[in-house]
Amino acid sequence: MSTKTETEAVGSAVAPPTAPADMSPRRRPLGDRLKDIGGRWLFLAPALIILVAVLAYPLFYTIQISFAELDLSTFTPAKNVGWLNYRTVLEDPGFLNSLKVTGVYLALALPLQMILGFGIAFLLNAEWRGRGVLRALFLIPMVVVPVVAGGVWKMLLDPMWGFVNYLLGLVGIDPINWLADPTLAMVSLVLIDTWRWTPFVVLIASAGIMSLPGDVFEAAKVDGAGWFATLRKVTLPLLAPVILAAFIVRWLGAVKMFDIALAATKGGPGQATDVVNLYIYEKAFRGLEFGTASSMATLVLAITMLLTFLFLRLNRFLEKRW
Amino acid sequence: MRSLPRATRGTTRRAVLAGGLAATVALSLAACGSGDDGEVTGGGVGTAEKPVSIRMIANDAFARQWQEQMVPEFNKLYPHIKVTIDGVPYGDLLAKEMLELTAPDPTYDIVIADDPWIPQLAKTGGLADLKGDLGKYTKSDYDWDDFNTGPLAAGEWKGKQYGVPLRSNVLLMFYNKTLYSKAGLAAPTPELTWQQYLEQAPKLVRDTNGDGKPDAWAVGTYWTKDPLTPTIWQTILNSNGGQLLDENNKPTFNTPEGVAALQTHIDLLKYAPPGAATYQFNEPLEAFRQGKTATMFMWGSVYKGTAIDPKTTTLKPEEVGIQVMPVGTASAGAHRGMWTGAVAKKSKQAEAAWTLLQWLSSKEGEKWHANTLGVFPARKSTLSSTPEQAWLTPVFKAIADGYVAIDKGKMWRPKLPESDAIQQILATQHSLAVSGQVTAAQALKNAEDEVNKLLKSKGY
Repeated sequence: MSTKTETEAVGSAVAPPTAPADMSPRRRPLGDRLKDIGGRWLFLAPALIILVAVLAYPLFYTIQISFAELDLSTFTPAKNVGWLNYRTVLEDPGFLNSLKVTGVYLALALPLQMILGFGIAFLLNAEWRGRGVLRALFLIPMVVVPVVAGGVWKMLLDPMWGFVNYLLGLVGIDPINWLADPTLAMVSLVLIDTWRWTPFVVLIASAGIMSLPGDVFEAAKVDGAGWFATLRKVTLPLLAPVILAAFIVRWLGAVKMFDIALAATKGGPGQATDVVNLYIYEKAFRGLEFGTASSMATLVLAITMLLTFLFLRLNRFLEKRW
Repeated sequence: MRSLPRATRGTTRRAVLAGGLAATVALSLAACGSGDDGEVTGGGVGTAEKPVSIRMIANDAFARQWQEQMVPEFNKLYPHIKVTIDGVPYGDLLAKEMLELTAPDPTYDIVIADDPWIPQLAKTGGLADLKGDLGKYTKSDYDWDDFNTGPLAAGEWKGKQYGVPLRSNVLLMFYNKTLYSKAGLAAPTPELTWQQYLEQAPKLVRDTNGDGKPDAWAVGTYWTKDPLTPTIWQTILNSNGGQLLDENNKPTFNTPEGVAALQTHIDLLKYAPPGAATYQFNEPLEAFRQGKTATMFMWGSVYKGTAIDPKTTTLKPEEVGIQVMPVGTASAGAHRGMWTGAVAKKSKQAEAAWTLLQWLSSKEGEKWHANTLGVFPARKSTLSSTPEQAWLTPVFKAIADGYVAIDKGKMWRPKLPESDAIQQILATQHSLAVSGQVTAAQALKNAEDEVNKLLKSKGY
């Protein structure tokens, strides 16, 4: 029996009597088709309602607020102000600075996490004793609450009591003011975030490495390819879509950076680590400027969507190319 | 942190706003409803057959202590009022209260607010006027005039009394008598001036173990980017006769005195432990409690944990002195930081809620509070009474001196709904100056411009 026949047989076993298995959906009676569509939508409805309630409606309402002045006593838009909030936001040096700070943080943290993540994944996928324990240990940073991670690292980096400076002291290096210097504060933030999220990249990378086809590597070996040539000509091209997929997932996570910055530096010193989400939070919930905060959030959403779209297109290109 | 019960009414636009921000910037907040100006519901104080329940949202720093010790004491008098207190971290408290008060059916009957929050919370229309809305439930012997004016004023806005002082707090100077003595210096007195303090400070930075490196320093206080950090600078400014804003809410801090005050705050770092530029609340406290710093400019309410409680401090009560901050050209320094209790206007148990606040802020309740938990009082009668515990005597003196300084120098944060936003601007510019990214003068110029812009946009 052919595969097609098997499928049809299964189909006829579950299809209603009025809809023979050999009848294509378009040729079914209209009532049956409507019933079928209705049934599907009925099952989808709870998920759709939840999705609309928790995602779409809030999102559109935020956009509405971004064009309005919010009445704090009723928490409703008091009057439409057109593009005023957006103009205010684009003239706000603090917001523009926070975008820049976020950009610097992303430019430093993401490549570092990708390189470390894939490097560690290669090591963990080689055969050696104890790698299972190390794999399990690697998951710990990911499950630590971000605020706790920020707080603990703040203690570790303390110039007087911190463990990091104690270790540096053992090799004769004077205490470093990790969080008080504007440049070092950003470096510290990147280090904390890297400690926290590299294991996530390791997980994705491990899955990608394990799914690589063995026969290709055997062929490369037969052809006399060395370790580096195999990495450059076989492994990396095959892994490119996985690398970019991991990058996109981390990008979407990293752009939301908020709690570690809040716990470790509160955006300081000055505005050195004032990432955009922290700035928006302060504007909204300390400054009570919900209109401008919503405009900022909408702009960040637009920028994030645009860049994510570009990354996805790049991913598709890489998949097709290799 | 204990989890908070959610408001039970349907999703509304406020929830949508919070959710929208959450969806776009990964901030999670839930809220609902809109305000109304309806009459306050009394709801009684309960009976054996029909007890009433009230719920309070408070700072988690003291919520558990209240739940475990204050509530049982209150229930001795009012056994039919069940009180549940939810503790929320300080950083999240204002936002949660803002969202809560505008909900159609608030979860909380009582909100505990930090000093500058009352205008912001009252502006939502969600707070009951204790003298107006709830005046009929006020006991005849509740003596409003017995409160010191500073603490009571923290709960007032636009002529209405929205809150009563429950945990008074004052920015004060702590000093370690042992370290002063070892440095060959006389212990400070309330007459100590900033000039004298700064002359003594280098002598308080010492190498006590002979390894060639300092291991004891002169001072610990706030320096990090935090809305509370500028209160130190503000107090120095106030004690030199300066003010943040004038009567018309125009900034008046960008003056030579303001710059000098900010520079003094920054200069204190020279005599502070390594890494002190990131100090906020806990770090200077820890350094002082471990005998690493000779002085600390900090909220006085930490005195018990700093000088008395062996679980939290290495110091002995006789080692720790407390007094007002050094004297400027106009007065000694102090800064107001009251925790006030307010009743949600939409509470269905407003009478029971106000009964609890009345008891806790009454002459009897306040004395119990101070003597049992070491909480700072706001009433003149309490401060003039003889405390049950000897260690409270010098503390009462420092608080009383602090209230005088506060009244004289108008030492509080801006009394506007935009107070936190202003403090945030000051915190950012202050932090830029502390980290050397701008000069003190440039920081105040920037802050003045930003505050002007903010207040102008709000119609001032």
